[in-house]
Amino acid sequence: MSITFTSRPIPASQWVSEPDPRSRGVSVSINDVSIALGGRTVLEHFNIEVPAGEFVAIVGRSGCGKSTLLRSIVGLETPQAGGIALGSASACTHKPDIRIMFQDSRLLPWKRILANVTLGLDSSQMNAAKNVLAQVGLAERANDWPATLSGGQRQRVALARALVHDPSLLLLDEPLGALDALTRIEMQQLIEEVWRSRGFTSLLVTHDVAEAITLADRVILIERGQVALDEDVNLPRPRTRGSARFAALEERILGRVLQGRSITRTNPCSSARSVDAE
Amino acid sequence: MPGVRQQAASQVGMRAVAGRALPWVVPVFLLLLWQWASSAGLLPARFLPAPKAVLSAFVTLTASGELWTHVRVSTLRAFSGFAVGGGLGLVLGLLTGSLHWAETLLDTTLQMIRNIPPLALIPLVILWFGIDETAKLFLVALGVFFPVYINTFHGIQSVDRGLLEMGKCYGLSGWRLYREIILPGALPSILVGVRFSLGFMWVILIVAETISARSGIGYMTMNAREFMQTDVMVVGILLYALLGKLADLLARGLERYWLRWHPAYQAVR
Repeated sequence: MSITFTSRPIPASQWVSEPDPRSRGVSVSINDVSIALGGRTVLEHFNIEVPAGEFVAIVGRSGCGKSTLLRSIVGLETPQAGGIALGSASACTHKPDIRIMFQDSRLLPWKRILANVTLGLDSSQMNAAKNVLAQVGLAERANDWPATLSGGQRQRVALARALVHDPSLLLLDEPLGALDALTRIEMQQLIEEVWRSRGFTSLLVTHDVAEAITLADRVILIERGQVALDEDVNLPRPRTRGSARFAALEERILGRVLQGRSITRTNPCSSARSVDAE
Repeated sequence: MPGVRQQAASQVGMRAVAGRALPWVVPVFLLLLWQWASSAGLLPARFLPAPKAVLSAFVTLTASGELWTHVRVSTLRAFSGFAVGGGLGLVLGLLTGSLHWAETLLDTTLQMIRNIPPLALIPLVILWFGIDETAKLFLVALGVFFPVYINTFHGIQSVDRGLLEMGKCYGLSGWRLYREIILPGALPSILVGVRFSLGFMWVILIVAETISARSGIGYMTMNAREFMQTDVMVVGILLYALLGKLADLLARGLERYWLRWHPAYQAVR
């Protein structure tokens, strides 16, 4: 039932008419950012550079500051020090071309699916919303209430809601964390397809190293508020998990993540499960 | 085969009818018991008239038009009091719920006043407004104000932070954020307040009308007491029950319409 979009994919050429989709993305540079939440330092002198159109996955243990990083880019947290620059402009809350997807879909339960997708748009863009909804395979659910959808379907609506704004930067804050394994793979394919055809820059926060390697050009590990590992993923797309190179890379990154655990073992709250590979 | 199916269908139909009838078994039984006790002389008409007598009093009052006048006066009082008190509660609840300075300024005062039972003010209210319409309006308005106020305040405060964040990320702010996210998010709670108020509205009105009035159901009932017309008194009491039930149905109708997106109010598919 939820595989509808893979059974009749829409050719990438119909998604955007721009000749070079990569031009849509915006570069992100995080310069020496420090953020403390509730007196606890989450990010400390944090630096990364993401070129326009790159897909970067950020992994790390729970509470390492991955989500805070995304939230500060979209303006939901304010860094105490340092700067975040996008393209040339500086980040602010109402920047029209950054969109974020959360772990929970955050659909408005009192709005029908289509109205959720058109949130923040004027009525003239209704057709664009319908098209995007069709792209995620949920055109026929346009008039349903969010409560009647499954978790995976809700995340697809949330993705459609982000895409309808045609973002130049898409932030994904563990959007697939709560989905079952099958739906997750479908969603990964969908996100990869959309990213390849539209060419926006994307930052994906995830617990799942395999997911990071499947989707990203580059995997960054955050540990104790700083970049602990920055690894390029030079595998041809679409990537297959079975391949030896995939497995080797996964093992290396996972090993590095787990190595971090033995150092920070003093924190009893952190769970080893969060970095388990599938 | 069709015969069997028909039989099965009729069985299902019977079960549905039985399901509908079941809640009424106890009331009907009590009514019959009441009628029987009256007929057998166990229940003197001085204490409680027979159901038949109540029914005939109801018919007489309806035919003379007297009943309708009283019901209309009482309903008008109840709902104008509700409109004033509920409206004020809603506005102030929205204000203190949304603006931090308004909460700091007003909430302590309102919480203090809340602890005074509205009916304790009756002596003062009579002194201020006499036994006029204003007195009853004031009491009802005061009574319904707090349930609406508190639930509106609480509703606004408990709007899902995640949805607010999401709305801000999607460029909503000011009135649009309020209309698309804050108000609908607070609505379930506001409606709880409205429903509670509609029940409380009648309680206050009964007391207010019983103490001093020249028309209305309370007046009719108290007047009947003067002449020992127990049947009319029972008609009045039953009318309050009926009107209270109607007000509750109204509140539930509003909930079902406004909260039709809510899983709890959606018909099972």
